[in-house]
Amino acid sequence: MEMSGEYRIEASREKVWDALNDPEILKQAIPGCEEIDRLSDTEMTAKVVAKVGPVKASFTGEVTLSDLDPPNSYRISGEGKGGAAGFAKGGANVQLEADGGATVLKYDVDATVGGKLAQLGARLIDGTAKKMANDFFSNFAEIVSEGPAAEAEAAPAAEAAPAATPTTGLATGPKIDTGTWIVGLIVAAVVVLALIGG
Amino acid sequence: MYNFNYKKASSRDDAVAAQSSADDGSYLAGGMTLIPTLKQRLAQPSDLIDLADVGDLAGISDDGGAITIGAMTTHATVAESEVVTSKIPALAALAGHIGDPQVRNRGTIGGSIANNDPAADYPAGCVGLNATIITNKRELPAEDFFTDLFETALEEGELVTAVSFPIPDKAAYAKFPNPASRYAIVGVMVAQTGGETRAAVTGASQSGVFRAADIEAALGSGLDAAAAKEVKVSADNLNADIHASAEYRAHLISIMASRAAAAAG
Repeated sequence: MEMSGEYRIEASREKVWDALNDPEILKQAIPGCEEIDRLSDTEMTAKVVAKVGPVKASFTGEVTLSDLDPPNSYRISGEGKGGAAGFAKGGANVQLEADGGATVLKYDVDATVGGKLAQLGARLIDGTAKKMANDFFSNFAEIVSEGPAAEAEAAPAAEAAPAATPTTGLATGPKIDTGTWIVGLIVAAVVVLALIGG
Repeated sequence: MYNFNYKKASSRDDAVAAQSSADDGSYLAGGMTLIPTLKQRLAQPSDLIDLADVGDLAGISDDGGAITIGAMTTHATVAESEVVTSKIPALAALAGHIGDPQVRNRGTIGGSIANNDPAADYPAGCVGLNATIITNKRELPAEDFFTDLFETALEEGELVTAVSFPIPDKAAYAKFPNPASRYAIVGVMVAQTGGETRAAVTGASQSGVFRAADIEAALGSGLDAAAAKEVKVSADNLNADIHASAEYRAHLISIMASRAAAAAG
């Protein structure tokens, strides 16, 4: 499966970056996400309950980051396991670009599905993965433009005195970014969704 | 399969009450998708509420200008119904080519549309024929009912009770089936009802059934099959898999629409 996309998020790159590094926000944005554990700066797991049609399954996706070039781009790879049903693994190249006051996120995903999954579910994989990515971004954009909307009035002051903002430090470090979670999610989703194909 | 509580509902109210009192209850219609899903352990509902004994959910009635089909009516019953074959033969033909005989004798119209599989036939039939979906709470046009991939406007616990199809002036359904599953790689219902021309497409889009506006414009009031064949459909947002690329599906939309229009004549 190959998939690429581009999303414009109406918030500054710093704001997007901070939000992306906030497990609570990610948890709210990922459809069905119950838990996110950051194992290290480049590894994490997410527990997601996916509901598509009749399928409702809980699964864990594992994701690692590589080729970090903060805050511009990186390579992410993920793996999702569906037990005896098969597996899916894949990766994505992700780029964050500032565009005026907004941020444009671009991604390119390649993933492979194996085992029983591949036999049963090929017809639904692409559509479902895209839908999950779209759901994630629309939730995320809403949270980022709303939550920080409450802070928006305070924001100019915070920019004037960056040292006072506790999140500023995060923006400069090589942290895990949106694409990571999405790809982990997508790859894991592929595992689950592939099964509905029959 | 995981364990679940099994409840055979005796009436609509009984079914709705059982669903609302369950932790995570699921209605069971024909079970053609739900049961395989349970067997794969891909869902774990706390309760299954079987609708098989709710007698007034099945059956076909001719209301003059429309045919109403109960939610628990099987595909085989629709395909063989005298009322449907005489008034809306396109719908009978659609039902008669769903899956295989086993599926047609178990699967139901209500189950199919509530599931809204993006390659199922009935969604195209409902949208193309401008059907009204009737639930235990409300009635809504098919176009508003099917919202996205496997998603409908149904609320938690809401039960589809029937589907009402206005009798069209002309209609036909053309499907390019997957040879193994008989799911539509592309299926198009072309219908003309009261001066309105519709072309509803299933199997092709990643968001499920949709109306092809450019095809409808080409078909016009005369259902011009040759003009529909010439329409170049965009491959954006169409499904691609090992059976057919998005471009091939786009091509098939024009061809199937053209064949349906010629058959509807």
